[in-house]
This record gives sequence, structure tokens and C-alpha cells, in this order.
Amino acid sequence: MISYIVRRLLLMIPTLLGITFLVFMLVALSPGGIGASLSASGGQMDATSRAMQQAYLEDRYGLDSPPVIQYLRWLGRVSPIKFGKRDLVDPNGELISYPKKLDPPPLWDWIAGELPEARDAPPVEWPEPGEVVPEDDETPAEAVQRVKSRTHRRGTSDYIRERGRYVARQNEYETALVAYAQERGIKAAVTRDGKLNEGGLEGKEPDKASPVWERVQAAGERTMAAYQEALNARAESVAVFEARPFRQAGFPIIPGVLSVAMPDLGKSFSRSRPVSDLIAEALPITLLLNVIAFPIIYLIAIPSGMLAATRQGSWFDVISGTFFVALWAVPVVWAGVLAIGFLASDEYLGLFPVTGLHSQGAPDMTFLPARAGDGDWRAGYILDTAYHLFLPVLCLVYGGFAVLSKQTRAAMLENFNQDYVRTAKAKGVAHRDIVFRHVFRNSLLPLITMFATIFPAMLAGSVIVEKIFSIPGMGSLIIEAIGLRDREVILANVLMIGAVNIVALLLADILYALADPRIAFD
Amino acid sequence: MPEATDKPRDHLPSAFDEAPTEQIETVTGVELMQGIGVQESRGFWAEAWAYVLTRKTALFGLTWIGIVAFFAAFSPYLANGHPLIFRSTTQAGESVTTYPLFAFLNAGDITIGVFAAFAIALILAPIGVRRSTRLRVLIFMGAQAGVTIAAGLYMLAEFKDRNAPDWMRRLESGEHFILLLAIGVSLIAFAIFAAMPYARARWRLLAAGAVACVTVPAMFFGLENPPETFGYREQVAAGTAEATYTLIPWSPNQRRTDLDLLNPGESYYLPQVRSLVIESDSAELDSESIESYIARLGELGIPPGEVEPLQSRLRRDLKNETPITAADFREELDDAVGPDFALGTDSLGQSVLSQMLYACRLSISIGIVSTGIAVVIGVTIGALMGYFGGWVDMVLFRVVEIFMAVPLLFLLIVAAAVLPRNTYVMMVIIGCFTWVGAARFIRAEFFKLRNMDFVQSARSVGLPLRSILFKHMLPNGITAVLVDASFAVAVAILFEAILSYLGLGPVDQASWGRLLSEATNQVGAFVPHLAIYPGAAIFLTVLSLTLIGESLRDAIDPRRKKARV
Repeated sequence: MISYIVRRLLLMIPTLLGITFLVFMLVALSPGGIGASLSASGGQMDATSRAMQQAYLEDRYGLDSPPVIQYLRWLGRVSPIKFGKRDLVDPNGELISYPKKLDPPPLWDWIAGELPEARDAPPVEWPEPGEVVPEDDETPAEAVQRVKSRTHRRGTSDYIRERGRYVARQNEYETALVAYAQERGIKAAVTRDGKLNEGGLEGKEPDKASPVWERVQAAGERTMAAYQEALNARAESVAVFEARPFRQAGFPIIPGVLSVAMPDLGKSFSRSRPVSDLIAEALPITLLLNVIAFPIIYLIAIPSGMLAATRQGSWFDVISGTFFVALWAVPVVWAGVLAIGFLASDEYLGLFPVTGLHSQGAPDMTFLPARAGDGDWRAGYILDTAYHLFLPVLCLVYGGFAVLSKQTRAAMLENFNQDYVRTAKAKGVAHRDIVFRHVFRNSLLPLITMFATIFPAMLAGSVIVEKIFSIPGMGSLIIEAIGLRDREVILANVLMIGAVNIVALLLADILYALADPRIAFD
Repeated sequence: MPEATDKPRDHLPSAFDEAPTEQIETVTGVELMQGIGVQESRGFWAEAWAYVLTRKTALFGLTWIGIVAFFAAFSPYLANGHPLIFRSTTQAGESVTTYPLFAFLNAGDITIGVFAAFAIALILAPIGVRRSTRLRVLIFMGAQAGVTIAAGLYMLAEFKDRNAPDWMRRLESGEHFILLLAIGVSLIAFAIFAAMPYARARWRLLAAGAVACVTVPAMFFGLENPPETFGYREQVAAGTAEATYTLIPWSPNQRRTDLDLLNPGESYYLPQVRSLVIESDSAELDSESIESYIARLGELGIPPGEVEPLQSRLRRDLKNETPITAADFREELDDAVGPDFALGTDSLGQSVLSQMLYACRLSISIGIVSTGIAVVIGVTIGALMGYFGGWVDMVLFRVVEIFMAVPLLFLLIVAAAVLPRNTYVMMVIIGCFTWVGAARFIRAEFFKLRNMDFVQSARSVGLPLRSILFKHMLPNGITAVLVDASFAVAVAILFEAILSYLGLGPVDQASWGRLLSEATNQVGAFVPHLAIYPGAAIFLTVLSLTLIGESLRDAIDPRRKKARV
């Protein structure tokens, strides 16, 4: 059993890799790619600043590398086993990684004889606790930390600025090279969408007689100068990093090469917040919806399935079966729209709130219903939430009855025909005991596996329900993220939901084995 | 005619020895030998079908699906903003008759219309060919027609692409480009489908040739249409033309900027009539001003044939009512201009009824095509997994697990959001994400079948793998997958509706889900007629397919079989 569980857990890894890779490639395929919404948010800007911003963003999120590399990089961050230098954790809990490598511009040998070296940056030394004058009511240690943070921030922002400048210059240089290649008629050097293909020019001697050459040379020299500046800024940034202004993340296994750390889900493009925070806010709401809905489905579907089985062919059997199937066929979007329109909208009944999870002022409410100072009863936080959740939960549960009650009925009927039931009847066991103690117990098995099939369906259903009722759960989060092509949020969501789902499937299998001694997994 | 693929079935005893409608009690063996109670043996599927037809719920489902399919095939002929016959008078005074409805039909409309009419005729025709054979031929003809039209549209888009190479451009600017394209694409499709072994060679050539004969003219006339304009009503109102429309004189994409949401039964001319009376609600109107308003009704662009009865009716009704308040007069006017939109319009002023009819085609086609794709992928992968087992099964099952790990709707939302929004892409993504069920089922069946004697002997005589898998094993394992296809179509239609509701459906296509999304989209307002009708259409379609599926499932359930002797 243990080895079975371990094997299943290990097999989860390729599955999760597969699903995240599939989703990542889908998002990367989209027109404009992953950063489309980022670059669209620039507003009015002159060309140079736009180029700078574009370069900065592409660099910041690694959007300039091919999708597979981006995926691998994401994987590296998510995986608990890390290679290379350990990250630092700043006081806000954000991870800071080793300053990124700087690639030389394409065809640099056309411009300069050799690559410039970075200027040596002196190692950074931190002041002793007594040396810094504390501001306000800081302790000496806090004062030192403040100096460290400031130094780090300055070093990082310098490097980012220089890097952005360098990337912008490099873009200009590449444009000049494209013009040069077109003028010379070197088709291999220009891609279909008008970008530079470095390989097409590599190894060739520049033709200095070309009318475009002067432009290429000027852009190239500017790029090399910016490259030098960026190298210097990086050396300083590295010096700050090496001096460890903050504590290191995780545990080392082979120092400097291999370490173990918490998975990092990254930071949302669109909201500039860590994805783990966003999920920590949204997941409980979705789980709350499902945790309320599940018992309701089971409590209604199983007794009615039992009743239908014990009275096979009766009016209850026929009507409940047809009614549940009809409910199953009601699309959740329709049910939601009708519920909002007729039950919640003020134009009709106006019985329930239209959107949201709480009324205004809910944080100030008492938790339980209570009598206020003027003698009136106030609903309190919990009743208010229940009032808001009524329609969403209604929309979530009605579709689940059909499958479960049908399954219960079928399982019960199958068991009613078994020999042991005939034996029990023959020896005079009460009908009630036959139904509950013999048949129902043995019919429970398929109901356990049903959990595994209903759970994903419910998660998917709650996406739509959350969207319709504007509930800020995982569904709203993922739909918004997809609209904005927010890579980190989409991938993190898929990973979370995939993991929860596979664990639910595994749980169902284990429960199955526990409930039925005839089943053994090897 | 001999039926190669039906043979394994014929050797098996028929699944049901009892037709469910007949009331024969028990028959002894002796009586059976005397010929009492002997029933004509029927094929497996014919038997199952006969059982389905005895179920009331299934009959209801079949009726509704029949209605939806009928509208899916013939909606352009039933609801169209282009008149059937349009007689206009030129400035020189000549009378010209045109047929705009036919001029604006696109290649798909023509092909689907002709094919549907032919299919109905062929299925009902009393000829001596078995119905299952006719059905199979029809399915392949439909597939050929669909592939041809889709390929034609794709090729046209490729040729028109900005980055197309020079030789494509030269061809495209050539004189008979559309005709050449139509003939080329149809010939290739003809060659492919005539080579597929789905019936006798003579029948195949005939069927594929017939399809090609339809698709060539359909693509020639309908591949490239002029941009649609609906200027007919203005001309009719000006009195220079006369138009005869089909049943519903509105196209789904026909909109007027001066017209927004209308409730069911309200008229196209309502906005003009409403803006006619400018007095405040409580103002009293005497008979003189009312007469002037009634006279001005004639200037609003309502055709003379319609406005005259309207005026005389108003005069008659209001004769004894004056003076009347402006509010009451407005109400009278509202009542008087007759209903134009049986189901009202959406917020863009497009007819809801017309959109609902066209949406039938979208739903049915997405449901059927994506299920077809899913079954083909699922059966192939499931067959490989089940037959080989071992590491092939191990690797492929990881792929299956990928699709089980995340709710399909999530994947579909991601894919629909990032890929181009058109019908074909939607069919492909729904198909590519829903094959897992079929694959798992076929895998389990093949695990059981692969050790059976007939498979062992097929292998020992050295039959090729393709033949073992698809000719010998598949017919014994696919029944349940085909029956479950009914549910799969329902789920695909549901997915399409949800994606369209979320705004991720095909663009510029009438869709039930998109209509439904407009019911609450406006700021706080709720539009009942946009919520009820499209939602009910989705509901009834999904319910019908489910009921049919349940009956079919019962029909092939071996436990239903009872001994008669």
C-alpha cells in the first residue's frame, strides 16, 4: 500500500510537468505572446522611453528568451531543489536572485576588437551596529539593516537602469543590422517578421562600403558603450549580492551548487503581488463554496437514490430520476443568469444580493447574530455570508444530484439481487435492516469513487459560478489572469488545481482500498 | 450488398431476442420450431434503434434534435435579411428583378442546404439498400463536404495572406482563381474520400463524385461574397422597390444604429414612432394635433402598404377619445405598430429569433465535429494503450492523466482565450481536450480482448497491426463509445455555450451562449427575453441528447436481454 502511494505520488510529477507545459505553450502561442498586456499598458510615451520600458519588461520577466527556456526557468523557480547560488530573502519576504548574466551584443566583433571587461568593484562591507546613527526608535541592528537594504536597492536599480539602456541600444543596433542586411541582399539574416537572424551574418566581414555601414557602426559603438556601463553596474550589483545584505533562502546541500528551498510561484504581472498571496486569498473562498456544496449534494442525492432503489418503478423513482436528469441538463450559466435576474434583481423579486460575498461594512459586523444597542437584531457576519452564498451554492449543487443518485440507485439494485440479500430475507431479517445494514453498506463503494469524478467537475463549475456572481475566488482569479495573459498566475493556478485534483483522485483510490478488503494495490 | 464491417456482429447472436413492443409471453421450443413467435432477425443497431423508438423520453429528445437540425440546415433560407425577390425601379424607369437571398448565400449555406435535403430524401427513400449502409455513406459524404468547404476557406485565406509568396499572388490575381480553387480543392477531397474503404467502390465513386459536383458550384458562387449591406427597406420605404422576404425577414448580423433593445413582439418602426410625439406625458392633445401626427406617420419610412391601414385604424380608434394625454397616445401608437420581432432584439438591434436559428448550426456542428475528433483520437490512443500495455500504456496514460488532472473547462478557457476565435478552432480544441473518456474506455476493453482467441489467431496468421486493431478488435469494443457519443455531443454543446457566454466563442457568429451573456451584461439591467429563450434552447438540446443517450445505453445493456424460451 505504502509503495503504491509513493509510486502514485512520483507519477504525479510528470503529470504536473505535462499540464503546466501544455498550458504554458498555449499561452506562449497567443498573438502578442505572454507580455502582450504588459506592453499594451504603456499609454502615451515617446519612442525611446517605450523602447526602454519594453526592454526592461522583457528583461525583467525573461520574455525575450524562447518559450521553452522561459518554461524551464519557471520550473526552476517552482521546484524545491535549486541549482546555483541561493536566493536572498528581503525583509518583506520577497526573493532576490543573483544578478542576471549580461550577453554581449550580436556581431560585436564587427565593432570592437575584444569584449570589454567589467571594472573591478570593491567588495562591499557593512557597518558595525554601533556605527550607524539610528533613526527614530530603531535598534542598532535595524539601523544596519536599513543601510543594507538601501545599498542593495540602489545597486539593483542602477543595474536595471543600465541594463534597460543597453537593451534599448541593442535594439537600435539590431534594426541597423537588419537595414544593412536588406541593403546587401542577405536574406538569411532577416526573419519573416523583420527581425535580425544573427546566424545569417556571422563569420562574414562587414562591407564598409555599404551606405548603411555608417549607421551600423554608430549604433554599434553606442551599444558597446552601453554594454560597458551595464557590465560595470552588474559588477557592483554582484558585489552587493555577495556581501549578503539579507538572509539566504533554503538549506544548502552542496554550497553554491545545490540547495533546497520553498517553491517560489513568482509575482503577478498585472497586480505586482506575489502569486502565492493571491492564491492564499482566493483558494479559501473556492474551497468554502465547495465544502458547503458537497454535503448538500450527498445529503440529497444518496437518500433519494436509496428510496428510488427500494421502490423501483414507483412514481418517486420515475419522477426523481427524470427531475434530476433535467436539472443536470440545465446549463449553469442559464441557472445563474435566471437566479440573478428573477431572484436577485430589484426589477423582479430582489430577494438576494446580486454580487459579492459580503455586504458593505461586513468587517464591522459581529460574528454571530446579535442584538444591537437600539434593541434590533443584526444579522452578523456569518448570516450575512450565508445570505450572499445562497444563490451561488444553489447554482453549484443542482447539477450534481443526477449522477450521484443514479449511481446509488444502480449500486443498490445490483446488491438487492445478490444471494446474501435473499439469504437475509429468508432468515427473516427486517426489511429496514436489509436496506441499511446489508445493501447500503455494500453500495457505498462506487459512491466513494464518484467523489473523484465530481470534484473536478465542481471546481470547474465554481469557475463559472464565481464569474457570474463576481465572487473573488480561484475562478475569477484565473479568468482575469487569462484575459491579461498573466503567465505566473495562470501557471500557478494550473499547478495548484492540478495538484489538488490528483491528490483527490489518489485519495479516492486509497479510500476504495480501505473500504473494500477485496481490493489490494500492488 | 455485402457488409465487411458488419460480419463479426452477424456471427454473434442478436443481443435481444425479444422486440420490446411485442407482448409475447413465453414460447416453448416446440412452438418455436413450429414457427410460432419467430421473429425476423435484425442487426444489432437496428434492434437497439427499435428499442429507443419505444421510449417516450427518447422520442421527445429525437423530436427536439430534429427541429434543431432542421433549423441548422435551413436557417439561411428561413431567416434572411436579403429578400427572396427584389423588384426595383431604376432612374431610367426600368424595372429590375434580383434575387439577393441567393446571391448572398455562402459556400457552406449552399452545401449544407443541398446536402440536408439529399440526406432526408436518401434516408426516407424506399430503396433496397440497408439503412445502416445509407447512413454510413451519408456520414462520409457529410465529412467530405465539410472538409472540402473548410479546406477551400483555408486555402482562400492563405492565398489572400499578406505574406503569401509570389506564385500564390499571381494565381490569386488570375482570372478564374475562385473556379480553379473550387475545382482543385474538390478534386483532392474527392480523391481522398473515394480511396477510403467505407463502401463498395462503385458507391464510393458515386457518393464522392456527387459531393464534388455540389461543392464546386457552391464554392464558385459562395466562397467570396460581396460585403453584406441591407439597404432594401430604405428603397421600399422610398417607394422605388418591392421586396418579398422569407419567413423571418432579418439576418442575425443585421443591425440598425437607431434601434436598440426591443422586447418580444415590438416593431422595427417603434423607435421612430416613439420619437414622433414630442409633448410631455401629461399634455392634452386635441383631435387636430392627433390628426397631424397620424398624417406624419407616413413620413417615417414605413412602407405605404403598411402605413395606410395603420393610419385608418388609429383614426377609427381615437375618434371618440379626444382629447387624450400624450402618454396615452404614445401607448396607442405602440400598440398599433404591429409586431416585427417575435422574440425581440438584443442590445445591438439584431433579431433574437434569427440569431437563435443560426445558432442551431453552430451548436450542432461544434457538437458533432468535436465529438468526432475526440472519438477518433480517443479510440486510436486507447487501442494502442490497451493492445500493447507495458511502457506504451505507461507513457500514454500519463498523457491521459494530464487531461484528467485539470478540469477540462479550465483548459478550454485558456485555449479559447489565446487561440484565434473561429468555429473551426473551437471544434478542434473541444475535440482535442475531450478524447480522454473514449481512450480510457477502449483501453479497458482492449485489455480484455487482446487475450481472446480470435485476436490470437489474427495475430498468428500475421495480419498487419492496423487490421488487428481496427478491423477485428474495434468492432467488438466500440459499441459503448458510440453510445456515449450522444452524451459527448451534449457536453460539447454545453462547453460551446459556456465559452461563448464568457466571451470566448467564435466572433461574428450567432450563438446561444453569447445571447445569454447579454441578458445581464448591461449595467445592472436584466433583459428577460435574452435570458429565457437562448438558455431554454441550450437546456432542451442538452436534455434531449442526454435522454437519447440514456435510452441507447439501456438498449445495448446486455442485462435487458431476457430468455424467451
